[in-house]
Amino acid sequence: MSEFRLEAVVNGRKIRRTAKPSQRLLDFLRDDLNLTGNKEGCGAGECGTCSVFVDGVLMKSCLLPVAKAQGARIDSIESLAPTGELTVLQKAFHKAGASQCGYCIPGMVMAATAALRANPFADREEIKERLGGNICRCTGYQKIFDAVELARDVQNGRLPATALLETDTTDGEVIGRNVRRIDAPGKVSGRLKYAGDMTMPGMLHVQVLRSPHPHARIVSIDTSAAEAMEGVEAVITSKDVPGQDGFGVFVHDQPVMARDKVRYVGEAVAAVAAEDLATARRALGAIKVVYAPLPAVFDPVEAMRVGAPVVHDYAPDNITKHIPIRVGDVDAGFAASDLVVEEHYSTQAIEHAYLEPEAGLAYVDHDDVVTVVSPSQNITHHRHMLARIVARPVSKVRFIMSPVGGGFGGKEDMIYQGMLALLAMKTMRPVRLVFTREESIVATAKRHPSRTTLRMGVMADGRIRAVSLRMICDGGAYGLSTEGVMRKAAILGAGPYVIPNLRVDTYGIYTNNTPSGAFRSFGALQTQFATESHLDIVAERLGLDPFEIRRINAMRDGASTHTRQTLGSVSLLRALDAAEQASGWEPGAPNVRGLARGDLGHDDVRPPVSLGTRFAPDSKQEAAE
Amino acid sequence: MLTCDEYITPVSLAEAFAAMARHQGRYRIVAGCTDTLPWAREGRAGDVAVPVLIDVARIPELNECQVGDGRVRLGAATPVQRFLDNPALGRAMPALPRCAVWFADDQIRAQATIGGNVVNASPAADVTPCLVAHDAIVELASRQGDKVHKRSVKLADFIVGPGQTKLRDGELVTGFDCDALPGFGGSFEKVGHRRSLVISVVCLAVAVRLDRDGSTVEDARLAIAGVCPVPRRLREIEERLRGQRLTGALLEQVADLPLDLVQSRSRQDYRRDVVRGFLVRGLIAAAKRAGASPEALPPALEAAYV
Repeated sequence: MSEFRLEAVVNGRKIRRTAKPSQRLLDFLRDDLNLTGNKEGCGAGECGTCSVFVDGVLMKSCLLPVAKAQGARIDSIESLAPTGELTVLQKAFHKAGASQCGYCIPGMVMAATAALRANPFADREEIKERLGGNICRCTGYQKIFDAVELARDVQNGRLPATALLETDTTDGEVIGRNVRRIDAPGKVSGRLKYAGDMTMPGMLHVQVLRSPHPHARIVSIDTSAAEAMEGVEAVITSKDVPGQDGFGVFVHDQPVMARDKVRYVGEAVAAVAAEDLATARRALGAIKVVYAPLPAVFDPVEAMRVGAPVVHDYAPDNITKHIPIRVGDVDAGFAASDLVVEEHYSTQAIEHAYLEPEAGLAYVDHDDVVTVVSPSQNITHHRHMLARIVARPVSKVRFIMSPVGGGFGGKEDMIYQGMLALLAMKTMRPVRLVFTREESIVATAKRHPSRTTLRMGVMADGRIRAVSLRMICDGGAYGLSTEGVMRKAAILGAGPYVIPNLRVDTYGIYTNNTPSGAFRSFGALQTQFATESHLDIVAERLGLDPFEIRRINAMRDGASTHTRQTLGSVSLLRALDAAEQASGWEPGAPNVRGLARGDLGHDDVRPPVSLGTRFAPDSKQEAAE
Repeated sequence: MLTCDEYITPVSLAEAFAAMARHQGRYRIVAGCTDTLPWAREGRAGDVAVPVLIDVARIPELNECQVGDGRVRLGAATPVQRFLDNPALGRAMPALPRCAVWFADDQIRAQATIGGNVVNASPAADVTPCLVAHDAIVELASRQGDKVHKRSVKLADFIVGPGQTKLRDGELVTGFDCDALPGFGGSFEKVGHRRSLVISVVCLAVAVRLDRDGSTVEDARLAIAGVCPVPRRLREIEERLRGQRLTGALLEQVADLPLDLVQSRSRQDYRRDVVRGFLVRGLIAAAKRAGASPEALPPALEAAYV
């Protein structure tokens, strides 16, 4: 490989460095210059957290071979606040609460900087358009747009600079006030280090070999060729696990790497630690795994049938968890109802798509403490599980939680920290693994896909007499959080409504699909999607307003829930009032509107999506005001 | 991950051809690289090792754009952003600035080249249908002995299928020779799963010229992509429009011509609905920018389609 001499001006400083032809500008900035402010979120130009200025033009540094920077002026996020004094835009992001996990924010700040340079008077629609190349998963974008508008107005003198300061809280009151997040400056400046930004001297790079089969017996794994490669320090498989090989949030059914068989496409089979990333990736290709494919099952209903392929021997019926709830006499309730409605609902798998792909760094310290630094959402539990896996006392295992660049439940599972610990122990060197976006999507948990059958019996006046709810969820190949998700789905699924007769059954089922796990709302979404949709359908059948049927059945202060928890105060009625008002709701049954509905066409209703606000003849004329 | 042993950035055609000759059979031509790097990832080509990458984006001849009398010459390495930055280009090619705002995002648009868009030959390319509407001719160059051999192929003939072109081994696309369409109103309609960074499910380029009082169609150019293996010029519609009085009924008539445009593998019914709406909406937008009289395009028609 012929290295070459790169000359450029980076953040105002001239550099002459050796660069490799395969490097992207992003790699060069992060790895060689240690400018880790701009992140890698996708590596494919989709997310924009890597955006830097090249000769004053914003570009995605993950799409730029470093040779394209030859002779150019490069400005990364670090260039904006070189002495720590934040720019107006960065202060506005701080003030508006525009940063949450912070991982997209370096790119957002750069894109906003570019937008206001292109048009200092850009309106909100133009700001949206110009930030279109940047993805955020936490904020829903509104606070980011608020921040850019705030910065624009301060820059243009329409608002005083004091608008960027914290709202006065000298009276000690913070509840109900807009208080600035104390962690925002580190995020808007790119200075906060996520796990993938961290390095240690002598650090090795880890890559993982993953299963191409949904269900297969592992006949043999030959790692000798990979281990013999120059630059490869260690290769591990399940044979390298010294203790009890199993983890999971509820049932410890998942080995650190596949043991004896693989259960889904993307399951870890072996891992390599090498001097550099490219060598580690090449070494994966030198590992020879012989598989004997097994019949696989991809549908949870099929998996429940007798004779279906068994995913885990301990669960011959493929049931990960069944949660039943019984209240009153459901059959009698249906018999006494004026109207009984039954419908089927389904929801699909969803990827969390946090901007920060999984990453972690592990080492064995001077006191023989196996230390793992990662954005784990559950470090104490991970620590105890890892201690058993590596057969060391808990006092010799440490987890350090790095900043979580978005989790949403997806980083609760210890799916890679075990491999990092084992490689650190085997090599006695620091090791780091950073997932690619594709790897994150293939290997990590999803929201449980669900199928629900809901039967509801109501009286003519709208009162619910009985509900039967049966949900079957695809839990995928491993248990992860399935048990808890099924429990919450059952407890909350019938909604905050008084239901005298109730039968709920939620099932988490093993299949050979990607494992399902924790995801915001933790199971309540799936069942409540069914319940709330059903209430609208029932309201229509009864000629009732959807808000009204909910008010009729709402739990009130002091109510007992379906699982007999007494509620002190219930805010449901207030929430319904607020939603009705905010939505400009036109009272009536759901089927009285149609094309002529009167609640559309207001100023606060969004027009159809289009692009091209920058062509509007008056988009820059406000400067003349 | 894309790896290479050498990354060459020639600054002249001669240097480029020398590098191509030196590394015959071992190189890949790149320009903006905005598709090459994502291509070499899991789910597409996976890890790819190319011995030599030759980056033609810095060759001056490939970067020049000239707006002449009746013709526009675009260097192949012209970034898509230039249609927004250069008003003269926008006037001569009125659909292209509208296309550019829909192309990827503000950042990729500054890097991605029109030559790359054409050579990729994606059925859903955004720039290519615009160039097809301008009767673009592809300029090709190769070295034969000491001389540079040039040939030209009509863009409509150059792309033969998804990802397939008539580019020969050892040949470079150096530019495009296009009809200038000053005085035309342009529009570009596109839909995908979201606004930015999205592959077109349907996209349509329209350019329309009206008579002086804005009531008769003098000329029209339309090309569509995303619905067929290669971008398709809509000459049948152009014929029906030419010389006709501009009315809402005329636009709806041409949108209803039984052209069977949608050849896609998926979502055919959806695409048919979109194509019909885009044809009317695109023609309305282009005609308005061409100075259509308010009588010709009543607000009710606009409200129904725009």
